[in-house]
Amino acid sequence: MGSYELYRKSSIGMSLTDALDELVTNGTISPLLAVKVLMQFDKSMNDALQQKVKSKTTFKGHLHTYRFCDNVWTFILENAVFKTDNELQPVDRVKIVACDAKIISR
Amino acid sequence: MAEISLEGSQPVDLLKHPSGIIPTLQNVVSTVNMDCKLELKTIALHARNAEYNPKRFAAVIMRIREPKTTALIFASGKMVCTGAKSEQQSKLAARKYARIIQKLGFPAQFKDFKIQNIVASCDVKFPIRLEGLAYAHGHFSSYEPELFPGLIYRMKQPKIVLLIFVSGKIVLTGAKVRDEIYEAFENIYPVLSEFRKVQH
Repeated sequence: MGSYELYRKSSIGMSLTDALDELVTNGTISPLLAVKVLMQFDKSMNDALQQKVKSKTTFKGHLHTYRFCDNVWTFILENAVFKTDNELQPVDRVKIVACDAKIISR
Repeated sequence: MAEISLEGSQPVDLLKHPSGIIPTLQNVVSTVNMDCKLELKTIALHARNAEYNPKRFAAVIMRIREPKTTALIFASGKMVCTGAKSEQQSKLAARKYARIIQKLGFPAQFKDFKIQNIVASCDVKFPIRLEGLAYAHGHFSSYEPELFPGLIYRMKQPKIVLLIFVSGKIVLTGAKVRDEIYEAFENIYPVLSEFRKVQH
């Protein structure tokens, strides 16, 4: 069962990648092990977001552009407002990429 | 020319619209052939406001805001443009879609543009006895309130379908040119008046 590699580009994913690179470069771990760790990271991120994260964020804004291709939705919102437990965060422009979690688990 | 003013809007040409009511166009559907094979995935990936889900439907669904319309774009190069409020707007929108396809590098042309359907609606502002109308015009009418609350009237000349509701709201569809809508409405108006519901 595969997982999206989406979260490798997050701060935590980038930090992990950097650390693994360093360990591979100085010969502490094998490149194969680094790849395995990254694959576990993909899986763990998906699991954690699904099971451990309970907070909810809602957002709305003016839909500037949308796209649906290869089962991925892309939205560009202008003047969006993100609401996380009554805390408002306005954003001028935001890009949202949404993948179907059900498709990859098959 | 005989003219009256309706609710402060522009005067109505009573020779063309003896009822004094002009049905409002709500939807115009047109087709055009861009006459070149299209790579739908390329279009979906590069154009804005596009949807492409080949498992569900074999066309790219694209929208523009002005004129507010939706286009179905097929790999054959054929396109359907829906949602415009007039024939000119439909053609303008279709041209804009063809231009988008051209900008993505396809040799799109603009062949055989044709209006395929026009839908209009209006309100006669009096209630109608649908049962009576259906009985008197049994040959053209289908009224089954358990299935659909409106009376479906299939006019033969012009060949237009009308949905007639108790409230006096009318939907006309099936026209290729707007004059068929106007003609159909002027044909039905005296019938509607005849079956006007008397309110107590």
